[in-house]
Amino acid sequence: MASFLKKHRYALISFVMLLPGLASFFGLFFYPMLVTVVRSFRPEGVTTAWTLRNYTDFLGQASTRQVILLTFFLAIACTLLSILLSVPLTLLLRQKLVGHRLFRLTILVPITVPGLVGALGLLLFYGSRGWLNLLLMQGLHVVEQPVKINYTLTGLVIFYVWHYFSYTAVTTLSTLEGLDPAFEEAARVAGASPWQVLRHVVIPLIMPGILAGSVLTFMAAFGAFSIPLITGGSYRPLAVQIYKQIEVFTPARWEAASAMAVVMALLQLVFLTFYMRVLRRPTAS
Amino acid sequence: MRTLRQYLRALLNAKKLLAYTFLLCFFLWVTTPFLMILLKSFGRNWFGKLWLPPEFTLDWYKWAITVTNIPEVLRNTLVIAGIAVTISTLIAIPTGWALGRRQIPGKEVIMSTILLPRMIPPIAYALGVAQIFYRLHLIDTHLGVAIAHVAICAPYAILVLSSTFEGLDERVLEAASVCGANNLRTFFHITLPLVMPGILSSIIFTFTTSYNEFTLTLMTYGPKTITLPVRTYLAVGEGYWEVTSALSMILIIPSLFVLFMIQRQVQPEKLVGGFKGV
Repeated sequence: MASFLKKHRYALISFVMLLPGLASFFGLFFYPMLVTVVRSFRPEGVTTAWTLRNYTDFLGQASTRQVILLTFFLAIACTLLSILLSVPLTLLLRQKLVGHRLFRLTILVPITVPGLVGALGLLLFYGSRGWLNLLLMQGLHVVEQPVKINYTLTGLVIFYVWHYFSYTAVTTLSTLEGLDPAFEEAARVAGASPWQVLRHVVIPLIMPGILAGSVLTFMAAFGAFSIPLITGGSYRPLAVQIYKQIEVFTPARWEAASAMAVVMALLQLVFLTFYMRVLRRPTAS
Repeated sequence: MRTLRQYLRALLNAKKLLAYTFLLCFFLWVTTPFLMILLKSFGRNWFGKLWLPPEFTLDWYKWAITVTNIPEVLRNTLVIAGIAVTISTLIAIPTGWALGRRQIPGKEVIMSTILLPRMIPPIAYALGVAQIFYRLHLIDTHLGVAIAHVAICAPYAILVLSSTFEGLDERVLEAASVCGANNLRTFFHITLPLVMPGILSSIIFTFTTSYNEFTLTLMTYGPKTITLPVRTYLAVGEGYWEVTSALSMILIIPSLFVLFMIQRQVQPEKLVGGFKGV
């Protein structure tokens, strides 16, 4: 025993030190997830029998497909728009114009401020009496009646981008800053126009950064809960639908909610695996 | 030739103008919502097509304090955040040390496993946490809500601390052992002071994560453990926009502090970071 301890002392110490982290993982993530999975196979209100009904019920509903489509639409639209916003933004910030530190900090505002506060501010800003509509009506005289943005699909996409673009922007910015200027100089010396340099040198080189950041944006948008809960109105993505099973029904429909949560987690994992596979593929161009 | 140069310079300035317009629009797009909350929380009789509230008042803050019981809600929030930060840090120091300084087979796998809670929608395991906590009677207790927060905070703290430990200079530790310090002594007198900045930034970020946490709180809270985010959510449902704005202004203070800290020193990549494997 003593010799075993002595022989494996190094490994044992490492293991003991790892234990708290592993314990919190298994106790607070793995076990709860297991409970969710097991509960999703139980008939409603029963704790012994097994059934597939929660899944067949959920997947059989006509509205389910719309909910899943909505969730994916919001997440993908938000991801694409975040990329479209982040690339020009970070290219400008990289030039170190006067005041670039302030703009850099601005990128971080949406992820440091509580989502609920952001959602409230956006509802005020885009509301029928918000500044955007006042600008459109009184400042620019473009429209007569206030434009309805809150509680519409367009509005929800705008809110999502506001909340989650930061992940893409920060990652893109740090990739861009790590880029060796020699590549661009070489291209420019070889006679490429600024646009060509951007299109054929800079963008391909920062692509891994953009994609890695967009994965984070996608995950956040796919699992978004507080934003659609407050600002979604009648648009309810998966996370909100799951919560409604607990909140609206008495007794709470834990089994149905668990089945939906399992489907949601699986959809996200499958999509992520697929995305990472695309990501890791060496770019041929 | 001269006109050509002038023309080019004008074009350059136009380009700069365009760049600044874009950046300014971006800045306003991000920040005006907060300005509107601020005005709403101080404004009275702000109806119709007015750009600014006609009168200013502190009434909504008084309402927020008396009606929505801010002192108790704030106390709950701080107690819960305090417990969550303590537990997460105590978990993260040994685990971060092991992951950062020891040779462990399959380190990458362990790291990804610990980060898995960040890849799954929180609502999925929040359901399980709620059911387990009902059984253990942890629902509506400060400790219970705090432990639920650890599920999200701990991976984060481990991530930050393992990279801090990894970044330590080997030579300093060797110097300590050459001078005759044993392992424990080296840890407490050399390693710990060196990683203090990392521990502090981990504490700051776990604190804000817990302070702002909504999903897991919503599944585990009760009348005795209403936190600020939940109170804000309930106030939105009750429809008093002015009082909700006043609440939001209080809720936002720690986040502003964190932004200030980031601006001072911390690299923003750390906030998002840790997806080296991606």
